[in-house]
Amino acid sequence: MKTQHAPHRRSRHAIRVATAGAGILALALTACAGQGTPRDTDGGGPDGKISLTFWNGFTGPDGPALEKVIADFNASQDDVEVKAEIMPWDTLYQKVLTAVAGNDGPDIIAMSAARMPQFARQGMFLPVDDYYDDPDHDSAALAEAAIGASVFDGKNYGVPVNYTPMMMYYNKDLFEAAGLDPEAPPTTWDEFAAMVPKLTVDENGDGKPEQYATALGDHETVPVFPALLWGTGGGVVSDDGTTSMLGDAASLDALNFWVDLVKDKKASPIGLSGADADKLFLTGKAATEIVGPWMTTGFDEAGLNFGIAPPPAGPNSDAVLADVVSMGLPAGTDDATKEAAYSFFAYWNSQEGQTTWADGSGFPPNRADVADKVTASPYPAIFGAADVAARAKILLAGVAAGGTITETIFWPSLQKALNGDGTVDSIFPAASEQVQAELDK
Amino acid sequence: MTVTELTPSTAPPRPPVAARRRARGPASRRQLTAWLFLAPALIVLVAFTLYPMAQAVYLSLTNYNLIAAAEWIGLDNYAELVSDPAFWNAFWNTVLYAVVVTPVTVVLALAFAVMLNQAFFGRTFVRTAIFLPFIVSLGIIAIAWSFLLDPNIGLLSYWLGQIGIVTEQGWLSDPRFAMPAVMMVGVWKFVGFYMVIYLAGLQSIPSELYEAAKIDGTTPWQRFRHVTLPLLSNQTLLVSVLALIATLQAFDQIYVMTRGGPYFKTETLVMLIYREGFQELRFGYASAISFVLLIFVFALSMIQYGWLRRRAVTY
Repeated sequence: MKTQHAPHRRSRHAIRVATAGAGILALALTACAGQGTPRDTDGGGPDGKISLTFWNGFTGPDGPALEKVIADFNASQDDVEVKAEIMPWDTLYQKVLTAVAGNDGPDIIAMSAARMPQFARQGMFLPVDDYYDDPDHDSAALAEAAIGASVFDGKNYGVPVNYTPMMMYYNKDLFEAAGLDPEAPPTTWDEFAAMVPKLTVDENGDGKPEQYATALGDHETVPVFPALLWGTGGGVVSDDGTTSMLGDAASLDALNFWVDLVKDKKASPIGLSGADADKLFLTGKAATEIVGPWMTTGFDEAGLNFGIAPPPAGPNSDAVLADVVSMGLPAGTDDATKEAAYSFFAYWNSQEGQTTWADGSGFPPNRADVADKVTASPYPAIFGAADVAARAKILLAGVAAGGTITETIFWPSLQKALNGDGTVDSIFPAASEQVQAELDK
Repeated sequence: MTVTELTPSTAPPRPPVAARRRARGPASRRQLTAWLFLAPALIVLVAFTLYPMAQAVYLSLTNYNLIAAAEWIGLDNYAELVSDPAFWNAFWNTVLYAVVVTPVTVVLALAFAVMLNQAFFGRTFVRTAIFLPFIVSLGIIAIAWSFLLDPNIGLLSYWLGQIGIVTEQGWLSDPRFAMPAVMMVGVWKFVGFYMVIYLAGLQSIPSELYEAAKIDGTTPWQRFRHVTLPLLSNQTLLVSVLALIATLQAFDQIYVMTRGGPYFKTETLVMLIYREGFQELRFGYASAISFVLLIFVFALSMIQYGWLRRRAVTY
C-alpha cells in the first residue's frame, strides 16, 4: 500500500510546497513593486519637459490666484512645468521632512520664512544664494525685508512667495450698530480698549457674548498675539535672536494688557485657532480681526461691509506683524532641477507674475514697481501702502527654534493665562527661561 | 551460541546510519511544510514589527533627525527623559486616561452585554449601533465628535447650552473638559467590541445554572455575582488586558480633537512621541520615549494578566 500511495502523497505534498513558495514569492514581489514610481524630475518627461511639484499651504481664497500664476508660467515656456500641491500648512510641516528624507518629496517647498531655519538647521534645504547673485533674476526690485526673512546662519534658503503686513479688518455695520463711527477704527490700544465694552455684546446676559470686539487666536494661527508684545517695546526674542525677552517688564505689560482685555473684558473668545477667528469675523460675530490679505476674497464673497486699517499701535511702538512665505529647494536637488526651479522663481517675482498674483489674491506685490499696474483689486495698494510697510516687522526671523518657541512655549503659556490657570506674571517669566534654553541649544 | 546472543539487550537495536537519516524524513518534511506556511506571516511580522522595533531601540541611542546620519549618544536620551517635565506630564496624563477609561469601558461593556442578552424588540439594532464605532476609524469618529462639540455649530454644545451647561471656549479648548471629552470618545469607540466578547461568554453559560440558582431563591444581583461574573472571568481577563493596552496608547482621538492641548493637558505618551518626532524632529528622543512606553505597557500587562489569571474560574 505504501508503494501505491507514496507517489500521490509525494506529488500532493510537492504541490503544497510549490503553492506556498509561489505565494511567498508573489507577496515579496508585490511588496517590492509597490515602492512608488521614482520622481522623474530631470528631464524624464516624454517631451523633455522638467516637471516640478510645488508644495504650499495656500488653501484659502488665495489658492486660485497662485494656480493662475503657475498656469501662466507653464504656458509661457516649454521647458518646465510646475504643478502645485496645496495642503493645510500644518500638514505640510509634518509631511515635508519625512517626504524629503524618503526621496519622495516635492521639488519646491513653500513655507513661512520664520519656520525655514528649523528645517535648514537639519540640513533639509539647499542654499539659494546663487539665485540672488544672478542679475537676470532682477532680485534688486524685490523688498529687502522679504529677501532677508529666509536667511539663516549667513545663507539664504528661500525666495519670497509673498510678503505682507497683517492689517485690522473691521466690520463697519457692527461699528455703526454699536454707535461708533464706521470710518474711525481704533488707532491705538487705548482707543480699542475703550471700544470693547460697546463692541462685545452679551444680550441675554448668560456670560457668553453673542458678538465680540475682536477674534484673537491662541493656537494654530498667524502669530498676531506674540507680535502685540512689540507695542510696549517688549518681544519674544531680541532682534539678534540670542536673548529671550518674554520675561521683560515691557513684555509682561503688553501681556497683562491683552490678557486682561480678552479674559476679563471678553474682548475676544479664548481657545480660538486662526481658522476659528476667521470664521467668527466672516459670520459677523467679531467686529474686528487682525489677519492677512488672504481673507479679502472670502470676506468679499460673504458680502461683509468691512474696512481695513493698520492694527492699533501700542504705547511705545507701532510695529506691525509681517508674514513672509518663501519657497526653497530640498538639499540634494540636482542642477537641472535647480535651474528649472530658478526660472519659476524668476517668473513668480517678475512684473507680470506679481501683477497677476496681487490682482488675484489681494496680497501686495513683492516688488514696488508694479504698484500702478495692479488695478483689478484695491487690496494690494492698502496692504502695500508705504506707511504700513515702514511699520512691518517679521517675528523670530532667522531663529532656528522659532517654531518650537511659538508652538510649545508661547501658545501653551498664553492659553494657561487666558484660562486663568496662573497669572501672566507667574507664567511668563518661567516661559522666558524655557525660551532661553531653546535659544541656547 | 554465545552467551551474548542469548542475553536480550535493554537498548533497542541501533539501525545503521543511513536508515537513521531516512527515519527523520517524514517529521522534518512536516516541519518544513509548517515553516513554509508560516513564512509569509513571519516575514511580515519580522519586516514590519520586529525590525522596526529593533531599529527604534537602536535609534533611541542616537540623535537621529531623519536627514543627517544618526550619531551615537548612548543613554543620553533616557537620561533626558527622566528629568523632562513634558515626559512626566504625558506619563501622568496617560495613567489618568488608562485608570479612568479601562474600568469604565469594561464595566459598561459588561452592563450592555447583560442587558442585550435578553431578547427584546430592536435588540439587534441596538447591538449593531453599539458595535459600529469599533469598525469605523478612530480618526473619523474624532472628527465627527469635534463637530458635535464645536462651541458655535455643535449639536451637543447647543443642547447642553439649552440646559445651562455652557463653556465659552468650547469643550475641547476648556482645560476642565478636554480630557473627559477624549476619554468619552475612547470609551465610545471600544465598548462595542468588548460587549461582543462578553456576549459570546454570556451565551456559553448553561442556563441550568441560572435555573438552579433561581430555585435556591437568589436575587438577580446574587445570580449575577455568583454565576455570571465568575463564569465570565476568562472574558474579563481578555477584555481588561486588551483595554489596558489600548488605553495606554491613546493617540488618534487626541491628535484630531485637541492636539494634546489645551497647554498639554491631554497630551499622552504617544502624542508626546509624535510631537517630539515629527514636530521637533527629534526621532532619537521619540524612540527612547516609545521604548520606555513599551516596557511600561509590557510590565503592566504581565502584572494584570498574572493577577486576573489567578482569579480566573474554570468549570
